[in-house]
Amino acid sequence: MLEICCTGGSVGKSFSRRTLLRVGALGVGGLALPELLRGEARAAAEGTPRPRKSVILVWLAGGPSHIDMYDLKPTAPAEFRGEFQPIATNVPGIQISEHLPLQAAIMDKLAIVRSACHTNAGHGMGSQWMLTGYQPTIEVNDNIYPSLGSVVSRMLGARDAALPAYVNLPRSLDLGKAAYLGASYNPFSPENDPNSDGFQVRNLKLPSRVDLARLQRRRDLLGTLDAIRRDIDLRGDLDGLDTFYRDALRMVTNDRAIQAFDIKQEPDALRDRYGRNDLGQSCLLARRLVEAGVTFVAIQAGGGWDTHGDNFKQLKDNLLPKYDRAVATLVQDLCDRGRQDDVLVMSFGEFGRTPRINPGAGRDHWPGAMSVLYAGGGLRMGQVVGSTNDKGEYPTSRPFSPGCVLSTMYHALGIDHRHVFHDQAHRPLPILNEGRPIEELI
Amino acid sequence: MNSRFGGRLVGPVAGVVLWWLPLAVAGAEPATANADQGTEPIARDVDFAVDVAPLLSRYGCNSGGCHGKASGQNGFKLSLFGFDTQFDYDALARQARGRRVFPAAPDHSLLLRKATGAVPHGGGARVDPQSEAYQVLHRWIEQGCPPASPTAPRVVAVSVTPRSQVLARDATLQLRVEAVYSDGSRRDVTAHAQYATNLDVVATVDDAGWVEARGQSGEAAVMCRYMGQVAVFRAIVPHGQSLSELPGFERRNWIDELAASRWKQLGLAPSPACDDATFLRRVTIDLCGRLPTVDEARQFLDDPANEKRSRVIDRLLDSPDYPAYFAMRWGTILRNSRLAGADQAAYAFHNWIKDQVARNRPYDEFVRGIVAAAGEWQDAPAINWYWQMRDDQLHQVTSDTAQVFLGVRLQCARCHHHPYERWSQEDYYGLAGFFTRLGRKSFGQPPPYYAAANPTTGETNPLTGKVPEPKFPDGEYARFSPEDDPRHALVDWMAQPDNPYFSRVLVNRLWGHFLGRGLVQEVDDLRETNPASNPELLDALARDFVAHQFDVKHVIRTIVGSGVYQLSSEPNESNLDDRQNFARFYARRLIAEVFHDATDQLCGTRTRFSGVSDSARAVDLPHEGFGSYFLDTFDRPRRVTGCECERSSGATLAQVLLLANSDEIENKIASGEGRVARLVADQRPVAEAVEELYLAAYARRPTDAERQAATAYVQSQDNQRQALEDLLWTLLNSKEFAFNH
Repeated sequence: MLEICCTGGSVGKSFSRRTLLRVGALGVGGLALPELLRGEARAAAEGTPRPRKSVILVWLAGGPSHIDMYDLKPTAPAEFRGEFQPIATNVPGIQISEHLPLQAAIMDKLAIVRSACHTNAGHGMGSQWMLTGYQPTIEVNDNIYPSLGSVVSRMLGARDAALPAYVNLPRSLDLGKAAYLGASYNPFSPENDPNSDGFQVRNLKLPSRVDLARLQRRRDLLGTLDAIRRDIDLRGDLDGLDTFYRDALRMVTNDRAIQAFDIKQEPDALRDRYGRNDLGQSCLLARRLVEAGVTFVAIQAGGGWDTHGDNFKQLKDNLLPKYDRAVATLVQDLCDRGRQDDVLVMSFGEFGRTPRINPGAGRDHWPGAMSVLYAGGGLRMGQVVGSTNDKGEYPTSRPFSPGCVLSTMYHALGIDHRHVFHDQAHRPLPILNEGRPIEELI
Repeated sequence: MNSRFGGRLVGPVAGVVLWWLPLAVAGAEPATANADQGTEPIARDVDFAVDVAPLLSRYGCNSGGCHGKASGQNGFKLSLFGFDTQFDYDALARQARGRRVFPAAPDHSLLLRKATGAVPHGGGARVDPQSEAYQVLHRWIEQGCPPASPTAPRVVAVSVTPRSQVLARDATLQLRVEAVYSDGSRRDVTAHAQYATNLDVVATVDDAGWVEARGQSGEAAVMCRYMGQVAVFRAIVPHGQSLSELPGFERRNWIDELAASRWKQLGLAPSPACDDATFLRRVTIDLCGRLPTVDEARQFLDDPANEKRSRVIDRLLDSPDYPAYFAMRWGTILRNSRLAGADQAAYAFHNWIKDQVARNRPYDEFVRGIVAAAGEWQDAPAINWYWQMRDDQLHQVTSDTAQVFLGVRLQCARCHHHPYERWSQEDYYGLAGFFTRLGRKSFGQPPPYYAAANPTTGETNPLTGKVPEPKFPDGEYARFSPEDDPRHALVDWMAQPDNPYFSRVLVNRLWGHFLGRGLVQEVDDLRETNPASNPELLDALARDFVAHQFDVKHVIRTIVGSGVYQLSSEPNESNLDDRQNFARFYARRLIAEVFHDATDQLCGTRTRFSGVSDSARAVDLPHEGFGSYFLDTFDRPRRVTGCECERSSGATLAQVLLLANSDEIENKIASGEGRVARLVADQRPVAEAVEELYLAAYARRPTDAERQAATAYVQSQDNQRQALEDLLWTLLNSKEFAFNH
């Protein structure tokens, strides 16, 4: 029933804090800023906020080539092994691609799972599987099951009520939505490239015709009219909207969201280190956001990973240098700031790529084996888990399903992956219906 | 929980082993059999279907999370919820080379060692080795795992006692579930049935059939399932003392009598009738998908006539906005889309629906035009319904037909027996059988469709291995000659006056559209285990619809003309918790397209969508493919399912930011052609301008206090135009605007 589907949006501690604010019918409308801040101060005095972890997912849409990145097979026949050589990392015995030198230098801060796999070689269905943990039965371009970020948003909320819980950068993932959890758990996205000069979050900045004073006047007017409005107190039906207006107008009025999204505050040197491209700057922005209180950031790591043709040239000239730099800098930066255990960085795509090279020097879709990268989050780093056969075709030890990959993340966040939601048909659906955390990592 | 039920469990648990023989054979009292009879506990052979199979359900072995799921668990797969006894028998006794059972030493059977946790078992230790259940399994293996006896009685029905009960808010109740067997005998299976509630805030149930009211008033349906049969207990927790009368409630038609008797029983006092402005805004939104204009609002408010509400209903139903809006609503669940790349067919189908609605075509003929569509798209635009689903046509059409036109969610039965209902795979493939001879030509976008003489599908019914054969849901197999189009016979069957689905789902859908929630919710999920909150009212609406030859406008007039529809949304003490019985109007947010157009209407602006006429509003768009940040942000359906649930009502941050803080909206508010610009250009006095803005937003005049405050604000500002824009922003961002209340 409606009631079952819609109850229990867990917004965590912030909810009780917000309910302390006795506001007019439109939330912030009738509320002066100082009052807001007083409310927050009161909440802070009530107890120290629970330390909570965040996740940054680097989503390699299209399917990254595991055998050219993290699982090289230098002894395989030429039609499998490809052009790239493995190089040593700073962890003895672990080798990765020569085109990931920056990551190789911080291998002690990374963990590679080489034996993830599933059975669907379609982009849509593979993506749905990897992003939700559920094997879809039909190909649709929308979420049937809630994405991992939506689940985290629903279970944990944001650490700061002035910020969204779940953000997609630079734009929304194709299958990153909330499905039956409800639109409130869809990602918030700037739909804009943080590497561009004019980067800004849609509708977070005041419209050109409106200055802060005018917005303040409008909010006061709204508060006045709300207060005297005919008694259109619709109580239960509208509570959620009040909360929402409050959150949204906080984002506008209370500076913190704008500050968090303002990547220009980062030193130029650091921005250079991340790489002046959409992926690099998205990783940097993601770090700013999780520091400010966002719980889950998913980054669409460009397109182009679907390397059916000219795989090697694409990887070494275009994809890997940017990716190596962005992820290695992100992980190092988090360490430098002492946040490595609070933030879990993950990187994967919907499947690996065919170990056998096709006639166009490309590799095709291959869900039989894929690599997953984890960094930080309190997991055990500096290791490789699982292995594939001598051609990188399928796991020879420790095969891990998408559910295992995702449950490891839920475990790191303290979320019970057996927690049950109900879809519109009232079917009880646990967060994951299969898989358990990867023991070597936890 | 078990300690609490210790006493109650004894009888039924003992029964699982022992009651059968004395009853079935001798008709003796089951109580005479008892586990204490010890050394010779089972006086007859254990039967797989009667004794063993129910245990697989009772211990959750065949649930969807374990061995019942489509992929099984660890190589061991059972039929979901035990609907397929033969399959389960094979799984236990035959598969895995028989290693799951070991008759020479039953205790060493994998089945028992796994179930008791003697060897590692993902599901843990489920069965106590000391239990009766263990003995049953042990005995069955010892007997050499005989298959189910073909002559042993089968469960043909279950019943629950009581069937319904009014419960106090903290009351508890033990249900009693009886199975009825094919030989007419009955058994208490309370301890072996599975239970589920549909509303756990009202009443919960545990796995022993113990019901507890949870403090919230309302009505919960508790499903009791045993061996594929289902019975429903209805727990009614009244909102207050039952009422003998409902002072102040104005009865406008027979709907109100049926609602009132329900409210009296539940102790629900309805809210008062809504005022004229609220009614006009509500009925205009619900019938036409737009706000009343300022002129309409003025006229209506100033009209002294008593019957003005029914007059406005008729006027709106006869206006072109009614078919425009309902074409959009139908187009959404009929998946009228350009996903399949045929824009022209999407336009044609949209216009076809609009025309059908405008002419108030009898509903059965409307459905026939879709379900039995054939020909070229120019002549039969409804073939776009098939074309949009062409990738998986047989299955999508089967499940959409069931859901959209019969209110039955049959798609689960494609792979397994419906978990809550009697629908089986045979029913699913029987309905699919009506669509197996649909041919399409190899040219055209979309291509012409025709009824072929022979099956055109390669799909087979997994039960028979053959092409699905047509069988009416709940009924007989049908035979057709090659020149027949079986789809017409299906529509004939739907349109029979006593069809229990066809008319009920339509009136329920309309009720949900106008009242914000179906009598059965979701509106297209009619089943015994999801009962209507007012079954008499649903039945009466359906009967009335049939009696009026499927006249849709007649149903609409009846619903919106009722006192129930015209209640205020403001709750009173008694109905604040009511979410099922419509004792107040349930306010809801405007849907994406309506919200979009309402914003334009209030601002006095117009959005121009590319590729369609300049006058087209969002509700006029024939498919989902017109780019609009506003519509996407407000969750416009992608038209990928036949379900009303595709729309979400949850608010998002992006929505609020768009409304309150965007150049897009600001440009409308301040548009040189907009309402405020015109008010300023016409040099209208502030008080008049304020009144017009209120009428445009809310279809009402401001109260004195609102008028004073708004006027004072405008006059306090140097820039009058900006001040009026601020007022417009305020109205646009108010809840009263965003909601249909």
